[in-house]
Amino acid sequence: MEFFRDTSIDFMKYRKYFVIVSGVMLSASILAVFVTGELNLGVDFAGGTQLTVKFHEPQEINDLRAMTADAGIEDAQIQQFGDAGDNEALIRTSTVPGQDEGSQQLVMDALNRNFNASPPSGFDINQQGSDALSSLLFDKDPDQVRAQDEEVARNHYDEMAKSISDVRRREGLLESWDEVSSLPLVSAEALAAMKQNTHLGEFAVLGVESVGPQIGSELRRKGIFAIVASLVGMLAYIWFRFELRFGIGALVALTHDVLIVLGLFVIAGFEFNLTTIAGFLTLVGYSVNDSVVVFDRVRENLRRSRREPLVDVMNKSLNQTLSRTVLTSSTTLMVVGSLLFLGGDVLRGFAFILTVGVFVGTYSSIYVASPFALFWENLVTRRAGRAS
Amino acid sequence: MSRTLVWRGALIVFVLAVALLSAYPLEENLNLGLDLQGGIHLVLQVEVEDAVRSESTKDMDRLLQELRDAGLGTVSASLASSTEFEVVGVPRARDSEVTRIVTEYLPGWNWQRSGDSIEFRMEIANSAEIRNLAVVQALETIRNRIDEFGVAEPLIQRQGMEGDRIVVQLPGVDDPERVKKLIKNTAFLEFRLVAYPLGGGGVGSREQIMANYGGSLPAGVEILTGNIEDDKGVILGEQFYAVEDRPVITGRDLRTARPGLGEFNQPVVNFYLTHEGGKLFAEATGNNVGKGLAVVLDGKVATAPNIRSRISDSGIIEGNFTRQEVEDLSTVLRSGALPAGITYLEERTVGPALGQDSIDRGLKAGAIGLALVIVTMLIVYKGSGINAIVALSLNIVLLFGVLAYLGATLTLPGIAGIILTIGMAVDANVLVFERIREELRHGRTVKSAVDAGFGKALSSVMDANITTLIAALFLFQFGTGPIRGFAVTLSIGILASLFSAIFVSRWIFDLILSRRRRVERLSI
Repeated sequence: MEFFRDTSIDFMKYRKYFVIVSGVMLSASILAVFVTGELNLGVDFAGGTQLTVKFHEPQEINDLRAMTADAGIEDAQIQQFGDAGDNEALIRTSTVPGQDEGSQQLVMDALNRNFNASPPSGFDINQQGSDALSSLLFDKDPDQVRAQDEEVARNHYDEMAKSISDVRRREGLLESWDEVSSLPLVSAEALAAMKQNTHLGEFAVLGVESVGPQIGSELRRKGIFAIVASLVGMLAYIWFRFELRFGIGALVALTHDVLIVLGLFVIAGFEFNLTTIAGFLTLVGYSVNDSVVVFDRVRENLRRSRREPLVDVMNKSLNQTLSRTVLTSSTTLMVVGSLLFLGGDVLRGFAFILTVGVFVGTYSSIYVASPFALFWENLVTRRAGRAS
Repeated sequence: MSRTLVWRGALIVFVLAVALLSAYPLEENLNLGLDLQGGIHLVLQVEVEDAVRSESTKDMDRLLQELRDAGLGTVSASLASSTEFEVVGVPRARDSEVTRIVTEYLPGWNWQRSGDSIEFRMEIANSAEIRNLAVVQALETIRNRIDEFGVAEPLIQRQGMEGDRIVVQLPGVDDPERVKKLIKNTAFLEFRLVAYPLGGGGVGSREQIMANYGGSLPAGVEILTGNIEDDKGVILGEQFYAVEDRPVITGRDLRTARPGLGEFNQPVVNFYLTHEGGKLFAEATGNNVGKGLAVVLDGKVATAPNIRSRISDSGIIEGNFTRQEVEDLSTVLRSGALPAGITYLEERTVGPALGQDSIDRGLKAGAIGLALVIVTMLIVYKGSGINAIVALSLNIVLLFGVLAYLGATLTLPGIAGIILTIGMAVDANVLVFERIREELRHGRTVKSAVDAGFGKALSSVMDANITTLIAALFLFQFGTGPIRGFAVTLSIGILASLFSAIFVSRWIFDLILSRRRRVERLSI
C-alpha cells in the first residue's frame, strides 16, 4: 500500500501564509507562558517535598488540604495520583526554611494525627519494615520456637515478616487482617499476637521526593544549560554536515517546535521536572531528525541538478520524502500515544511533549525549516547581487 | 549461497546468541533502577566546617592548657571563626617560651603577635586536610552502618564539586525512615558524672537544680536534659541533670557494642571499653560510688543510673529501648561517631508498589505500541514488512542484551526510551524501503533497486540517527539517575537499530534475492 506515489504538491507556494500561521502559534505560545505567570515547577527544580500516599479510604482533596493547613503548612499542593480506585494522593509542600527535613516530618505528623488518631498500639505494620516486625514477633514468640533454637526462631519470624512485607510491597497498603491471615507462613497464634500488639494504619507512604533548595537551583541551571547546549550542538552538527542555510532552517524549525510545545505544555498544566526536561531534550533530537531527512534529499537533488532554483528542488524533495515523513511520524505517534494514554502519571508529561512534538515537528519540517532555508538563501543572494 | 552471505548470517546469529545469553533470564540480569525496584536515593552534605571548627577548638584548648602549665596563668582565648582564634594576656617577656610551645603544639597554624595578644589562623593546607578527612571518615562510618543492614549492592560514593557530598543508594529497602535515622545519627556518646542529684536519676525542673546551687552553677558543671517516654515511644516530659562538662569517657573509648538483655529481659546495649578507656572508667566509677552516671547521646541524657560499684571495662546502657533501637544503637556505636554533622540535600524514595506499578504500565504501553507498529509495517510494506519486523525484534533483543551485558540500569524513563526506540527504529527501515520503492518505480531491476535503496538512503539514516544520538549525549551529561538511564537506553537503541536496519535487513534482502536466478517482483 503506497500512500503518496509521485505526488507533486507545491508545498512552497503558500509558504508565506504558513509562516504567518507559525508566527501566530508562536506568539500564542509565548503569551500563554507569560500569562500563566508562574511555571509549574516540580520539586526537582523548585525544591520541596512530595509524598505519594495511599489511603485505606477514598479521600477528598479538600479534606486533605484542610488537614495540612491545620498543621501549619500553608501552601500544600495536593492532587490525585493514579487511577480513581487507588485512593492515592500526591502531597507537595515547599521547603520549610531552616529545617531540611522539616516539611516531610510535619506532613507525616499531620497524617498520623488525622488518620491514626488513637492507635491501638505503638506499631503500625503499614509504616514499619519487615525487620522491625520480625524483631517484635521474636520478642513475643507466639509460636514458641525460641526455646529450642534462637537462630532457627529468628529465621522463622524473619520469613513470616518478609511474606507479610511482600504483600505490602505489592499492594502498597495492607488493608485488612485477611490479607495477612491468608498467608501460609502466618500461624493463627502469630496472627493473634499481631492483632494484639500491632495495628494496620490507615495510610502508607509509597514514595518520597525531597529536594533541598540548593540542589533545586543546581538542577534548574543544569536543565537550562542542557537545552541551550543541545540546540547549539545540533546547529553545529547540521552546519558541519550541510550548509549554513540548512543549519539556520533546522535551528529555526527546532526553536519553533520547542516553543510551541512548551506553550501547550504550560496550558495543559504539566509539571516541569527532570523527566519532562528530558522530554524536551528528546524533542530537540526528534525535531532535527525530521528536518535532516528532508535536507538530505535536497542536498542530493541539488547535486544532481545545479541549475534548478532552490524552491523547486525543495518542493521536489518534500514530495519525495512525504511518504517516509508520514509513515515515520505515524509509527512514532503510535508508540508515544500509547505511552501517553497507558504509561501512567509519571511519564504522562514526557509522552505529551513527544506526542505534540511529532505533530508540530512534522509540520515544521515542511513549513518552517525549508521556507527559512529558502529565505536565508534569498537574503544571501540578494546581498551578493547588490554587491556585484 | 555466496560466502559473504554465510559469514554475515553467522555474525548475525552470533550477535543474537550473545545478546540472548546476556539477557536471559531477564529478571536476574537486568539491573533495575531505584524507581522500578524500589529503594532509597540520598544525597548528604557533610558539614565540614563543623569538623574544622572542632579541630580549632581542640587546638585552642590544648594551647591554653600548655601555656597555663608553663606558668602563664593569665592567658585566655576565644574563637574568632572556624579557622581563627585569638589568645590574649601573653606577656612579651616570655616570648621565646611561647614561641617554643606554639611551634611544638600548633604546627598547622600561622600566627602573628600584636601587643599582648597573638592571632592564629589555620594554614590552608591544614584546613583542607581536615575537610577532606571529615568526608572520608563520614563515608567510612556510613558504609559501616549500612553494611549492618545487609543491603544488596549499596552505592555509597563521594560527590560534588567541593567533594563534600555523599550519595547513598540502597535498593530494596522498605523502611527508609530507619535508614535515614541510622545514617544521620551523629552518635556522639559521652559518659558524664552527675553532680546533682545524687544517687542516679534526674529532677523535674531546671529551677530545682539552680536552687541546689544557690542560683548559679559552679564552674565545670552544665545542665542537660533527657526525655521521659512511655512504652509507645511518646515523649511525656523532660528531666534535668546537672552534669560535669568534661566527660569521663566518650564513644572513642569503646571497643565494641552489642545488643543484649538486661535484668528484666529488657533490651539493652552491652558495651566494652578499650584498655585505656577501661582504666579511666574504673578510676572514675571507683571514686564516685553513690553518684549518678549520665549516658549522654548527642547531648541528651539517655539514662543516668546510680554508680553502685567500680565498673572497669564493660557495662550496659539501658533505657526505654525497643529491640530494634538497641540493635541500631549498637550498630551506630560500633561504627563510630560521625566527625561532622550531616544535612540531607536530596531524598528520593520509591516504594516497591510504585515501582511495580510503573513497570506494569510501561510494559503495557510498550506492548501496544509495538503491536501497532508491527501491524502498520505489514500493511504498508507487505512482505518486506516482515523483514522490518525481524530487524525490529532483533533490535529489541540486542538492546536488552547490551543493557544486561553492560550492567546498565533500566529506569522508568529508560522504559520510555525503549518504547521510543521501537517507534524510531522503524524509521531507518522506512527510509530504505521508500528508496527501494522509488528505484523500482524508476524501472530498476529488483536487485539494483535494493542496492541503490540501501546505498542512497544510508546518509539520511546516519544523519537522522546521529542527531538523536547527540541529543542523548546531552541528556546523559545533564541528567542524573533516571534521566541517564533514558539516555543510555536511547543511545543503545539507536545503535542497535542502525545495526539491524543496515546490516540485518540488507542480509535478509540478499538472502531472498539469492534464492532464485532472477527475482521479478519484490513484495514491498
